[in-house]
Amino acid sequence: MKVTVKLFALLSRYLPPGASKNQAVLEVDEGATPTAIMSQLNLPREYCHLVLVNGVYLEPSAREAHILNDNDTLAMWPPIAGGGNA
Amino acid sequence: MDFNESQIERYARHIILPEVGGTGQAKLLQSKVLVVGAGGLGSPLLLYLAAAGVGTLGVIDDDAVSLSNLQRQIIHKTARLGTPKTESALGAIAEINSDVTVIPHTERLTVDNVMARFADYDLVADGSDNFATRFLINDACYFSKTTLVSGAILRFDGQLATFKAHLEGNNPSYRCIFREPPPPGLIPSCAEGGILGAIAGTVGSLQATEVLKELLGIGDSLSGQLLIYDALGATFRQIRVKRDPMCPLCGENATIKDLSLHRAAAQDEPCAVS
Repeated sequence: MKVTVKLFALLSRYLPPGASKNQAVLEVDEGATPTAIMSQLNLPREYCHLVLVNGVYLEPSAREAHILNDNDTLAMWPPIAGGGNA
Repeated sequence: MDFNESQIERYARHIILPEVGGTGQAKLLQSKVLVVGAGGLGSPLLLYLAAAGVGTLGVIDDDAVSLSNLQRQIIHKTARLGTPKTESALGAIAEINSDVTVIPHTERLTVDNVMARFADYDLVADGSDNFATRFLINDACYFSKTTLVSGAILRFDGQLATFKAHLEGNNPSYRCIFREPPPPGLIPSCAEGGILGAIAGTVGSLQATEVLKELLGIGDSLSGQLLIYDALGATFRQIRVKRDPMCPLCGENATIKDLSLHRAAAQDEPCAVS
């Protein structure tokens, strides 16, 4: 099945070749979860601060169990902690 | 509280707003806000909160003004290079509004002083620049029942949120969204990754607005929401986040009961504001 993956800010470097801007359409296994897709993209879980499925926030405890459907959109952002101080 | 003639003129554009009025302005003058970090985010935060007449502003930072700060830290000036940022901020605020009492805390925020510092304030605004401090602030705000308005910036991106997980309802904590600090070195700091200076102004000004809204109790709180600013894409996204029942701090079976885990973490790496 196909899932559109959108990776923002520093995560965009984990998109596969041929990705346009911040997103790519991935062929993934039936029953894939957000964490399975992170593994498929070699994306460390610690980088994935915010995870949205079809625009709806998915809390950390649900990311391993949430089953994605064909044509879902998975969007992820990294954590940032800067204050522009140093 | 009675305003003098000069205060009525100074705050006229606030007082004319029905949502603020004389009552709201009096509330601001009686409010006490602690700003953590007098740097990129802290600069617009302190300047706007001071101009707005927030009566007591605490500022905690142990760093001194350096030349590479001035590209974005607009509260500091070239003439103040080398002076403590708290002292520099105090001088700048004194030139803007003598109604404001500034309390400089020229020190690092640590597990040992955080509860004592927070006890003196109504609200904490986080403009720190590392994960360890952000988690310490989040946990200490939860335990002290203090509202937290948190801003973060890196490169061309900003994130803004308000946390009041001590209240009932959908008020998640920072830990509901993000369990624990990432391993050191995984996510770059502004010093390592860079920051477009004006983004500190954009996010710090939004943060100042959210602080004023919380103090006044007006509008929609950002608690339960995350505002993400993508400067290169020129977009804002508002994401509804929710309390996680599995959160180790405020979930149903919370395992974090005090700040002791920060004491263990501090032995590995000192928790710095700057």
